[in-house]
Amino acid sequence: MFDVNTSIGHWPFRQLENNTPETLKNYLLQYGITGAAVAHNHAACYMNVQDANWELFRAIEEEKSGFFRGIATLNPLYAAWEKDLRCCAEQLNFRALRLLPAYHNYQLSDAAATEIITAAGELGLLVVIPNEIVNYRQRHWMENGIPQGTDTLIDTARRFPQVNFLFTEANFPEKPSQPYPGNAYFEMSRFRNCFGRQLDNFIQLVGADHVLFGSGAPFKEIEPALIKLHHCRISEADRELIAQGNAQKWFDC
Amino acid sequence: MYYKFPSEYHAIDAHNHIWSADQQRMDQLLAAADALGIEKLCISVPIKDRVVAPEKFCQANDSIIEAMSYSSRFLGFCFVDAAANEAAVAEIDRCIIQYKMRGIKLYHQRKAQDPVQAPVMKRAAELGVPVLLHAGRFLDPDAMNREPYSSDAQDFLEALERYPETIFMQGHIGGGGDWQWNLRKLEKIQNDNYYIDLSGSVVDHNIIRQTVDAVGAERVLFATDMWFEEAIGKLQAARLSKKEEMMIVSGNFEKLMQRRKGLARNV
Repeated sequence: MFDVNTSIGHWPFRQLENNTPETLKNYLLQYGITGAAVAHNHAACYMNVQDANWELFRAIEEEKSGFFRGIATLNPLYAAWEKDLRCCAEQLNFRALRLLPAYHNYQLSDAAATEIITAAGELGLLVVIPNEIVNYRQRHWMENGIPQGTDTLIDTARRFPQVNFLFTEANFPEKPSQPYPGNAYFEMSRFRNCFGRQLDNFIQLVGADHVLFGSGAPFKEIEPALIKLHHCRISEADRELIAQGNAQKWFDC
Repeated sequence: MYYKFPSEYHAIDAHNHIWSADQQRMDQLLAAADALGIEKLCISVPIKDRVVAPEKFCQANDSIIEAMSYSSRFLGFCFVDAAANEAAVAEIDRCIIQYKMRGIKLYHQRKAQDPVQAPVMKRAAELGVPVLLHAGRFLDPDAMNREPYSSDAQDFLEALERYPETIFMQGHIGGGGDWQWNLRKLEKIQNDNYYIDLSGSVVDHNIIRQTVDAVGAERVLFATDMWFEEAIGKLQAARLSKKEEMMIVSGNFEKLMQRRKGLARNV
């Protein structure tokens, strides 16, 4: 099982446990999760975000087991992001780029976002955009973590059909006004399932090959996501795709 | 870990809702409960209006009565707005005494300790039924503007002093907002009239472990508020003893029901 939604590092507004590579790995292993894509929490707040990417790279290197696949984070408004993006893809071997518009003070519709998304696509990187990191209703007063909104996320995927996106921490409508674009992939931890079969219906709508298991650890408990996947009324082949198979394409796990 | 409650837990969801006696909705709730091993669900129909007229809350409660006749697994909670004063009390009597609902549900029309709540709190105490209040320490401007009278832990502490005979259920520690602030306020609370439910979409790491550490397992109630997997998942993540889990999942609620008095007890 592979978790596409984890992170390490401190979060400035709440104490986190299991937030080092070693502790997070051991924690995930308890649940049968044998690999994870990981981003660095420091990247939300550093002005020079590339420092957090180097921290992530060194942390993964020191952990040694190959359990983690790094997700870069960059701010397209900051100096030298183009150079940093190439470094993350080619030197640090990160497989995905995370964008945090709410923390880095831009909109996904801005020209700066267009430039970095286009560049990431040209490098073959998956672009990961969380709808939010922590629940907006409990935002710290120094935090500008306004959720992106599912419409904005889907509009972004439509604007860049050549780029693949993974949207995390969001609960997408199971009856959208237009079909979801094929380059949009979805992490499933925020979907309801047993009540109303929302996740089942969503999987039927977009295909099991477009849904990926994620927990949100170490911010969130892991059990809810596992229970949701367990109760999906899908074939074992589709369950395996969501649990691991789909992640292989992006994270070589 | 388990993916549904063991049958010996006799799980009760202490906080859930319907919006009308819509059969599809009721069936969806029961199907979710079946999947997760939940035997009974406490339901109410809360209305978001700033002031709720008696005819409106009576109509809402009619839906609960209908749901209770649809399935005996639904336990009714009577929704009122205390501003209606005598009409609110009359509706409580109708729902609790005549239709055997198990408790009273208050939304965010006014805070828990508001003097306007007095008639409702007095009647709840006389009947020995709990009052479940929507709650949260919201920090985002939207929720703060939308629900300026949602109660937080400080409001409950004041309400417990103002209405010392009334049993309170603080809704959804995971309903959004600064749950740690609520728990710091509640640390070591000893009042037997205070309960908190664990429902809500928030599944922050350790949220239930810290809730139990702050108020004691004997004051925590299992509930979903429609977030089913979240509730059963975060409860397990707290790594409590089986005894503590069973208290939270059903034992505490059953004890609460044993505190009903007089006409409310005849159920």
